[in-house]
Amino acid sequence: MSAQETTKEDKYRELKLSMEVFFSNKSAVAGLVIFLFYFFDAIILQFFPQVMPFKHPYSLTPNYVNPIPLPPSKKFPFGTTYPGVNLLTAIIKSIRLDFWLSLAVVVPGAFLGVIIGIVATYFGGLVDEVLMRITDIVFSIPYLVLAIAIGYVLGRTLDSMMIALILVWWPLYARYARSVTLEVKEITFIEAARAAGSSKMKIMFRHILPNSLPPVFVQMSLDLGTIMLAISALAFIGFLPAANLPELGYLTSLGYNYVETAPWAMIIPGMFIVLFALAVNLMGDGFRDVIDPRRRSAL
Amino acid sequence: MLLFIPTLIGLTVIVFTLLHIGGTTKLLAMYLSPRLTGAARAHVIAELDAKFHFNQPIYVQYFYWLIQILEGNWGITNTPLYSGPVTQAIEIFFPNTLILTIFAAIIIWLVSIPLGVHTAVNRDKPSDNAIRVASLTFYAMPWYLIGVVLIIIFAVYFRILPIAGTVNPSLVVGLSWYHNGISYPTHILLIDALLHGDFKVAWNAFLHLIMPSVTLSLGVMAALIRLMRGTMLETMDQDFVNFARAKGVPEKVVINLHAKNNALLPVVTNFGYLVAGLLGGVVVIEDVFSYPGIGMWLTSAMLNNDMGGIMGGTLLFGLILVTTSLFLDILYAKIDPRIRY
Repeated sequence: MSAQETTKEDKYRELKLSMEVFFSNKSAVAGLVIFLFYFFDAIILQFFPQVMPFKHPYSLTPNYVNPIPLPPSKKFPFGTTYPGVNLLTAIIKSIRLDFWLSLAVVVPGAFLGVIIGIVATYFGGLVDEVLMRITDIVFSIPYLVLAIAIGYVLGRTLDSMMIALILVWWPLYARYARSVTLEVKEITFIEAARAAGSSKMKIMFRHILPNSLPPVFVQMSLDLGTIMLAISALAFIGFLPAANLPELGYLTSLGYNYVETAPWAMIIPGMFIVLFALAVNLMGDGFRDVIDPRRRSAL
Repeated sequence: MLLFIPTLIGLTVIVFTLLHIGGTTKLLAMYLSPRLTGAARAHVIAELDAKFHFNQPIYVQYFYWLIQILEGNWGITNTPLYSGPVTQAIEIFFPNTLILTIFAAIIIWLVSIPLGVHTAVNRDKPSDNAIRVASLTFYAMPWYLIGVVLIIIFAVYFRILPIAGTVNPSLVVGLSWYHNGISYPTHILLIDALLHGDFKVAWNAFLHLIMPSVTLSLGVMAALIRLMRGTMLETMDQDFVNFARAKGVPEKVVINLHAKNNALLPVVTNFGYLVAGLLGGVVVIEDVFSYPGIGMWLTSAMLNNDMGGIMGGTLLFGLILVTTSLFLDILYAKIDPRIRY
């Protein structure tokens, strides 16, 4: 038996154990299933919009003949919202935008943050101090307020909302990556690598980086929900001037003037935001169990 | 504590940079009343040039700008909610936000600490699970949705709480200390009414405060309950707690005296995040309840592309958070004898 086969088998066993840990957590599996629903909705509408029976897959279709919200019925399972928008189709369309937008914030934000966090720990000393001070400064402004200010400067569009949220979010990852890296740095195998004569660069990127990535991934999956909340909050207070944009927060705000007579117009789109945030949270907790060695040995 | 000054300078640098992306026109718009035309406009521009030195290098301009900010010259805001100097707008709107956040902070403190302790003590029992599910749900809820749900329940269905604003307008007609939606002298309607002995208005103002502050607290509370539960569980595992139990201290005293006080330490460190959460929530929640505070002013400034309002709000919120974290550092050093600066 060659060494190659052993590692392959080890990897397979490792994966199997990870799956076992994850699937033993019922709520995490439920979260994953809900997440997959959103994911496929986003994929289908983004890449195969012709599959769905929508004339305008990327905009809401208002009906000004009958603009007042109607309660859920056979024709409109979720009811309608102002101005005569069918909530079911509007939600299906909105999930696409919200999903990709949160992904487009989390991935670059995490990338930027991890790089900066690792550079801070790698160089240490003054560089570390300055970079962490910068994250402190960004933290000192509530993210919604900072996003509003950046949105004013760049113009309030979908792109600038994305950029604003990335600029607001990277410090979180920088701090997180830094703390994780510092923790990994103290583990004995790093000392062994140093004793074996590995260069600082090699230790940083071959040994420390791969070991600090899993916790960052968990944080990313948790943040998908938080960012969707931030996006919908910004859309609700009117950050996006474009009307007819299928976005869950904007969809919720459409029903705001009818909250006394048509509560479903706000509750139903709002529920889909909550559902996603909950699912992603449960899923992230499941992933955290997978990478936590204490949980693995318990099984 | 030494970090206070650099953070403050960094904050002003960020705001200044935002002002100068795309040239000085934005800065001019912030200090120039849109009603001015012709010669008067040119005159004011020349005056501003003398103050801000637009022809100097950018890093020199920064210091001139900083001097103006320190002198209290924060520019002009022009929104449907208020138009006039930014500092005056802050003077009018900030007291409302302050009382809202204080109410919310009191609710958070009174509810989340006992609940956090309760969940940790009754770990994995039905009440623990129920509270955890509830707090996770609130955690995953956008702030405005919490507000809307409360409106639907208490204002639309039960009709016991008012939907929006600070007071029922018919109650304040003809009052000598209330003009154009602003009460005098403190600008906080509840306190002003109490000062003037008008308990009917005070009660009404209090009713108007309940829903926004409960919404605000629910949004932030969820994270705090989780944190409190985690630290409490950790503390209850420690040797000194077991020792207290072993020497025969009643369980209630062990929990409330030995464990709780020590579990509170990390919560105090995270109080800064709590304040950040409150200030962020204010932006959305004041908008939902049409509550005239900094958040609603900021939103209306955003919708009207009003530079003065946005930058004034950003700078104010930044200043509050930086100062809070300074006070927390001092407080932390006071209550934790292991930390000395």
